[in-house]
Amino acid sequence: MSEGESEEFGQLEIDASVRQVCANGICMQTTVVEAKLDEGNIQEAESALREGLSLNFEEARALLGRLEYQRGNVEGALRVFDGIDLQAAIQRMQPQAEKPPSKKGRSRSDSVHAGSQHAASLVLEAVYLKAKSLQKLGRVNEAAQECKSVLDAVEKIFCDGIPDVLVDSKLQETVSHAVELLPELWKQAGSNSEAMSAYRRALLSQWNLDNDCCARIQKAFAVFLLYSGVEFGPPSLAVQIDGSYVPRNNLEEAILLFMILMRKFYIGKIKWDPSIIEHLTFALSLCGQTSVLAKQLEEVMPGVIHRTDRWKTLALCHSGAGQNDTALNLLRKSLHKHEDPDDIFSLLLAAKICSEDTFLAAEGVEYAQRAIANSSGLNEHLKGVGFRVLGLCLGKQAKVSSSDFERSRLQSEALRSLASATALEKENTDLILELGVQYAEHRNLNAALRYARRYIDATGGSVLGGWRLLALVLSAQQRYSEAVVVIDAALDETAKWDQGPLLRMKAKLQISQSLHTDAIETYRYLLALVQAQRKSYGPLRVFPQVEDDKVNEYDVWHGLANLYSSLSHWKDAEICLGKARALVEFSADTNFYILSFVTVSGLMLERRGELHEALSAYTNALLLEPSYVPCKILLGSLLCKMGLKMLPLARTLLSDALRIEPTNRTAWYHLGLVHRDDGRMADAVDCFQAASMLEESDPVESFTSIL
Amino acid sequence: MSDDPATTTPSSISDDNTDATATTATATATDTAVADDSSYSTKPSRPHITWCDSYTKAQSAVDSLSSILPHVPPSLSSSETPATSLLHDPEIAKEFSRLLRQPDSGLGDNNLCRWLYDTFQTGQPALQLVVLRFLPILAGVYLSRASLHKPLAGFEAVLLALYAHETTVRNGQAITVSIPDLSHSSIYHETTKTPKNTATELNIAVLSPTLEPHGTVRSTRRARIVGVALELYYTKISQIPVDSKIEFCEFCRIWAGEDGDKGKGKEGRINLPWELLQPMLRILGHCLMGPDKSKELHEAACCACRSLYARSLHDINPKAILATGSLLRLVNMTSDLDNFDHTDIPQTNLIAL
Repeated sequence: MSEGESEEFGQLEIDASVRQVCANGICMQTTVVEAKLDEGNIQEAESALREGLSLNFEEARALLGRLEYQRGNVEGALRVFDGIDLQAAIQRMQPQAEKPPSKKGRSRSDSVHAGSQHAASLVLEAVYLKAKSLQKLGRVNEAAQECKSVLDAVEKIFCDGIPDVLVDSKLQETVSHAVELLPELWKQAGSNSEAMSAYRRALLSQWNLDNDCCARIQKAFAVFLLYSGVEFGPPSLAVQIDGSYVPRNNLEEAILLFMILMRKFYIGKIKWDPSIIEHLTFALSLCGQTSVLAKQLEEVMPGVIHRTDRWKTLALCHSGAGQNDTALNLLRKSLHKHEDPDDIFSLLLAAKICSEDTFLAAEGVEYAQRAIANSSGLNEHLKGVGFRVLGLCLGKQAKVSSSDFERSRLQSEALRSLASATALEKENTDLILELGVQYAEHRNLNAALRYARRYIDATGGSVLGGWRLLALVLSAQQRYSEAVVVIDAALDETAKWDQGPLLRMKAKLQISQSLHTDAIETYRYLLALVQAQRKSYGPLRVFPQVEDDKVNEYDVWHGLANLYSSLSHWKDAEICLGKARALVEFSADTNFYILSFVTVSGLMLERRGELHEALSAYTNALLLEPSYVPCKILLGSLLCKMGLKMLPLARTLLSDALRIEPTNRTAWYHLGLVHRDDGRMADAVDCFQAASMLEESDPVESFTSIL
Repeated sequence: MSDDPATTTPSSISDDNTDATATTATATATDTAVADDSSYSTKPSRPHITWCDSYTKAQSAVDSLSSILPHVPPSLSSSETPATSLLHDPEIAKEFSRLLRQPDSGLGDNNLCRWLYDTFQTGQPALQLVVLRFLPILAGVYLSRASLHKPLAGFEAVLLALYAHETTVRNGQAITVSIPDLSHSSIYHETTKTPKNTATELNIAVLSPTLEPHGTVRSTRRARIVGVALELYYTKISQIPVDSKIEFCEFCRIWAGEDGDKGKGKEGRINLPWELLQPMLRILGHCLMGPDKSKELHEAACCACRSLYARSLHDINPKAILATGSLLRLVNMTSDLDNFDHTDIPQTNLIAL
């Protein structure tokens, strides 16, 4: 042994393959000490260290404990640490009780001089390793207590937070470790609220953590907040600073932390961690705030996320926030032939967006066809979706086709595509509704009726759209009273607040039956409902199912004004118009409302015989929006009444209206009148025939309002 | 959450005290909730709930099981914490699951539905937890049958009771989230910009809209009522046994009706409006990324997530695609990451003082 000792001492050059302990400028190999430890002889091992490295008792024990810990013998490490009174050592280092720590200045922490820092470092590391050892033995509760005592001690020693420069690096390392470990231990122990307090303590106190460590804790805390399912409530008032944002619940706090982490990455403080954006995506999608997510994604530096991936995700974000134009532009970029032209999901989303706009439908058809062509292998299951969006795009395209032949061809193709989709997705009830609407648009009302019934059956009547389609098809068949029965049944299945669209349709059905008094009653009821809704809930009431076609107060006044003016109740009509005008001023979608307001005012003026005033109202509306069909028709019909000179102008306006809406019955009718007055009887007959055919199958509201 | 009844006792007792006010309110709200179904009566509420009271109610809940189950495990009758035992008893779980799946299980006069209803209406948080534990099966069977024109008044009474409870607890209010904006300082970061008036400029998102009282399940409100019941489930999810969460994941898969690989629609596929899907996704997020480390739960949740992702693609539903897609990518990331322990000291052969 003496031979071995003489070899071990004084080797200052470091041999990394052999375990050594160093202190006071001396290094020694640990074989002897380890052998003593293995025999269970801690005292001898300790004295070997004390003699070899000239250490005091505490230093020797701390070093011994670390040796055991490094050897992976955590039970042994615990035995060594148990031999010294760590609590007493901690107390020795704390500032004296008679000098209460002052909140201002750093005099207290400055006075902790280097010597006592070294001692503190030694003892705290020992306690920390004790906690680590306990954790490894599965005794997490005890581990948490030990770890917590490290932090408590540090807070007492440095009562104003850890100074940036003065602190011993070893001590700082132990502190950082303990700050990070404590919440993990509480989580492992199943103490959620302790874990939460530990996280907040870690992040809201001054521990002088480095960027990476702080980011790791922030991420772990945000994950904990987002998924633990335990609501903790906002941080205490003590940490709240005036004017700064204080999260009120888990989700807000999690989103805040993930956003901070994203920003730390932008400014180069931390490395890119792809999981952060995924967590943020999950959290923000749940809140429906995908536009906020889009902003976050846009700030990520180029090259971090592949550009087509970024475009695709951004397209989803914008589409989710209802900004379909932006979404489509992004998809066009990512579907460019040099990027990712065959990506089936981008194709489907692009086609879906196009299917909602008559002027994009043709572009959508192309995307849908490409999607079907690419749905093979793993994507085979998306083939049905491809056929579905193809059908929707074709149906939309048919609406603006210039010839009857073309329209009928597109409609048949649309039906064929939807049928192919149904064959592939038998359980998909949405397809039943879409087929129903398509048949209705095709004026195959019997088939439409069948599908509307099937849809209500398959969804158990749970979707308003089904009820509305059934009523609309019946109204197109001029079975108004049956349609009202359907609406009444639907009202019965609907909670009061969601009845708006149904009541609006009911009023229109009653007008079609010339039940004007009933219609006024229905409108009044609807008005009361809409007003009560606005007053009692304000902007926080969002029901996904009816959000898109929520009836607003303007609609009701508008409908009532129209109804009164058709009954020549000018005074009532004017009152309603006045109410509608007041609402226009507050509306966000002003342009549309001004248009419809000016149009309905013009109609009233016309009915009262004030033709010139009506003329200027219509002209104003058309100046505002040259392609507004209802106004074109009204102006055309008014001009038609103003003498032969005006007939060519009237004809141009009405033909233009029909170019935009080929199935507009009123436009056909008035065009017929123009031809008749101009003496072109054959043309007039054709127009009247078209109008009458359309009238027989005209629903009270547009079929496509359902999809 | 522990399987050992002894360790959970103190918390369930303290819950009783803190929830006493909510409990009274629930009982009064109940009258309106099931007014049309006279067979479901309400029990008188008591302002002061003692340990003795909660024990008695739990004991009587156990006693009344004998009329429903052929065999009540003796460990339940003799348990000192009957509510906790009910929550964790595997035999009860198996029997209830079997009974709830029977063809006539949702009828208005079904004994088990009545038991679940009465047990929830005791207002005892520990007993209410037992009812919530079976929500996945109940809601799962209910929604899959809702379009088959079968009477389901028994299921609906239980669901309406949960809905009424949540309505009362929230006072009908919406749950909103103010989306943070980093240009304002927060408790976790500072900004050099001068603070503007913060609160007004934040983006407010509605996580769950306001709740109105419902006396019956109207078909267009069905998804919302089940969705709100799931929201209630989520608020208690840290106390719910893992098996219940696994059952939830299995129903997610059935409701989604998509495999992702084979892609053929399956029996049990239902409409998934956002008001139902959103609370489902929150629960699923917990199952995948939460503190439970059960392997079986993780697998069930992964499977559910894949199905819901496939379904979102089929529906071309951007929000759902983003949410489920991000969960799937997170699952793939965590499997190879996170093994490194940053809190351990570096392994070295040179141990310096």
